[in-house]
Amino acid sequence: MCNIIASIEAIEAIGLEREFKGGVKAVTGIDLTVAPGEVYGFLGPNGAGKTTTVRMLVTLLRPTGGHARVAGFDVARQPAEVRRRIGVALQEAALDPLMTGSELIELQATLHGIPPRAVRKRGAELIERVGLSQAADRRVGTYSGGMRRRLDLAMALIHEPEVLFLDEPTTGLDPTSRLTLWNEVRRLRDEGTTVFLTTQYLEEADQLADRLGIIAAGKIVAGGTPAALKAEIGSPHLDLVLAAGSDVQRAREAIAGFGDHRPAAEGCHLSIGLEHGAADIAPILRALDDAGFAVAELELKQPTLDDVFLAKTGVHLEGAADAEPAPEPELV
Amino acid sequence: MRRDLRTIVALMRRGLNEILRVPGGSIPGVLAPTIFMLGLSAAFGRTARLPDFSADDFRTFIVPVGMLQGAGFTGAATGVNLARDIERGWFDRLMLAPAKRPVLLVGVVGSACLRCLLPAGFLLVVAFALGVDWPGVGALALAAVLVMGLAAAAACYATVVALRFRTQQAAPLMQIGALLAILLTTSYVPRELLSNWLGAIADVNPVTLVLEGVRQGFVGDVTWSGTWPALLAIAGLVAAFGALAVRGMRRQGF
Amino acid sequence: MRTASVALARRALRNALRRPQFLAPLVLFPTLFLAVNVGGLERTTALPGFPHVDGFLDFQLAAAITQSLLLGGISAGIAAALDIEGGFFDRLVASPTPRLAIVLGRVLAASVIAAIQVVYFLVLGVIFGASIKGGALGVLYVLAIGTVAGTGFGALGVMIALRARNASTVQGIFPLVFVLLFVSSAFFPANLLSPPADVVAAYNPLSYIAEGMRQPIAFDNALAPVLEGLAAAAGVALAAIGLSVLALHGRLRAT
Repeated sequence: MCNIIASIEAIEAIGLEREFKGGVKAVTGIDLTVAPGEVYGFLGPNGAGKTTTVRMLVTLLRPTGGHARVAGFDVARQPAEVRRRIGVALQEAALDPLMTGSELIELQATLHGIPPRAVRKRGAELIERVGLSQAADRRVGTYSGGMRRRLDLAMALIHEPEVLFLDEPTTGLDPTSRLTLWNEVRRLRDEGTTVFLTTQYLEEADQLADRLGIIAAGKIVAGGTPAALKAEIGSPHLDLVLAAGSDVQRAREAIAGFGDHRPAAEGCHLSIGLEHGAADIAPILRALDDAGFAVAELELKQPTLDDVFLAKTGVHLEGAADAEPAPEPELV
Repeated sequence: MRRDLRTIVALMRRGLNEILRVPGGSIPGVLAPTIFMLGLSAAFGRTARLPDFSADDFRTFIVPVGMLQGAGFTGAATGVNLARDIERGWFDRLMLAPAKRPVLLVGVVGSACLRCLLPAGFLLVVAFALGVDWPGVGALALAAVLVMGLAAAAACYATVVALRFRTQQAAPLMQIGALLAILLTTSYVPRELLSNWLGAIADVNPVTLVLEGVRQGFVGDVTWSGTWPALLAIAGLVAAFGALAVRGMRRQGF
Repeated sequence: MRTASVALARRALRNALRRPQFLAPLVLFPTLFLAVNVGGLERTTALPGFPHVDGFLDFQLAAAITQSLLLGGISAGIAAALDIEGGFFDRLVASPTPRLAIVLGRVLAASVIAAIQVVYFLVLGVIFGASIKGGALGVLYVLAIGTVAGTGFGALGVMIALRARNASTVQGIFPLVFVLLFVSSAFFPANLLSPPADVVAAYNPLSYIAEGMRQPIAFDNALAPVLEGLAAAAGVALAAIGLSVLALHGRLRAT
């Protein structure tokens, strides 16, 4: 019955839940949709439920509540159909150290039913695409972390999936490898692949995602484009440090009309919201100058996704990302 | 069908890497059954002098036990490798494949069927060198089928354990299961010489039939009446543990 | 030194008891072999030359104890190797812990576990119909020989771990344990062993250890075999502890 009205979304989850043994609810009612060809960022700290959500969407974990469809098929009732259409690179690039890169790609291709004639050709193309041609015939046990991630990505793409799941793909990578992976994600989007990207890195979500879902404690607390989410929080603000000995209260009064004052550090620090963005900077500086104040430092700050996270949850995402991950719950 | 066969062959090839690419690692497993055979015959060799002992010498009598031990340990090792794959995340990759679960299981277990021929073959070479009589090609072929079948059954059992506990620390449970099944039979002496309690267990243990099937040719002739029960027993064991293993795979993530 | 050794021994014991999956094989496998040997080879007591015993179980108990103690030695070695692989050994070396305590602690734990193994098999034997002919004194004799032997096997395990540095190499020694046992008179009377086991058994300390424990269980408290067993066990223990101390020094020189 569900297939009569085929979903046009690449991914759709309604009330998705997962409860583990002992009543631990890792995911408590996730609603999300991802359009075909979109890069959807799933942002949240360790232990928020990102990986649990991904594992349900890719059919590795059965939801205990709600339902989800990926590439038009129900994850619980039609898992084989889902698996045919998705590619997955999980948090751990689980690779067999005894096999070479080429062998692993070929094995993956065989597992996905790609005919033998096409296996070699497609494998060689992907290995070249991810920059592993020189290392393809070496055992994976000799690969660096970045090389393993790239191979993992190649394996996820071997069968040209409609939807690609990347679970924290750049965790532990050096900056260069991270940028390489980002470029690859952009390329995939340009080619029309839907990408579901989980990450705990703000910049990554900001750079790559067309739309975001921010997850905390098992539910989505905010969703939308990065720009819309940040705009929802507020406008940019200007942080100023006045010359030593300045009368901060009088300085505040001098620029009161430009925007709301924000909490600032002790001493000669001011912070003011800019209603009209960067265009307000020059008038503010002129007003301070006219009032006899000298500015020692200034910094224009745009709202960040961390600000969004803070507004929705009361804690910073960046600090929460360094915290101890939640202990692995036992499967029910 | 061809796709399924390709998947099975690919997984079997991966399973063989343990012996092809880590040759030293498999030596204890290959040697152990032979060591047991030599040791047991050195220690208990005079047992063959008992009345009602059906073989000329004790070593000949226990050669089939060694072959099945090799199969049992190989099957257990398959489960340990699967548990390691689960711990390292590789198993998730397997579960993400669109292939049918029974196909994946056959691929995982199939390599055990081939690998078990290594310890069995080594044991036979040593046994023949020490004077055990040639049992005949037919007997050896039957023995090979039964040994491979037991390896498959043991691998399915070990798979069930691996899927249940998801850790290599369950290895002793896998090994002891195989060992129990093989030793609680007419492993050391014919049925007439077993104690009451062990005889009672051997009578209901299907591996007794398998062992007696393998023993044909080494002790006595190969007969249809000695063969079909062995084949039936091994088919039953593979079917039962195979079904449990497939069920275990399907229930992953529940 | 004593404090550190005892503290490390307590740690080793605590870890062992918290991981029953490592302890279980020490008693489960030998129990299984004991059951199969007794159930399958009971009638061998009728063979000409087999010493008179009330039952084959009485004869086999000492073999099961010896086998279990050897496996205990491997287990101690695996635990020591895991400490080395996991970095705990380096942590100890970098601390003021007396070097010798690193070995002695593990060996002391092995001796406690050995005593438990001996008691387990004696109780098991009695439950299933064995009788300890030597009575309470006989039990003490068995306990003494078994504990000293188990201490020695534990030290051997530690020595192997210090040389091999990884648990899987120590694990690979497992079949060798059975080789040593089979070429001894642990499982069967020396006069009924097949060549070349009969020759090797005469020089194999495991023969004396097993026979030393067997005497009070199956026969009586005759001192000669008991003292021979104790001497063999003590010889193995002293040699093994010496070798493991040498291995420790070798490892420390290398780091």
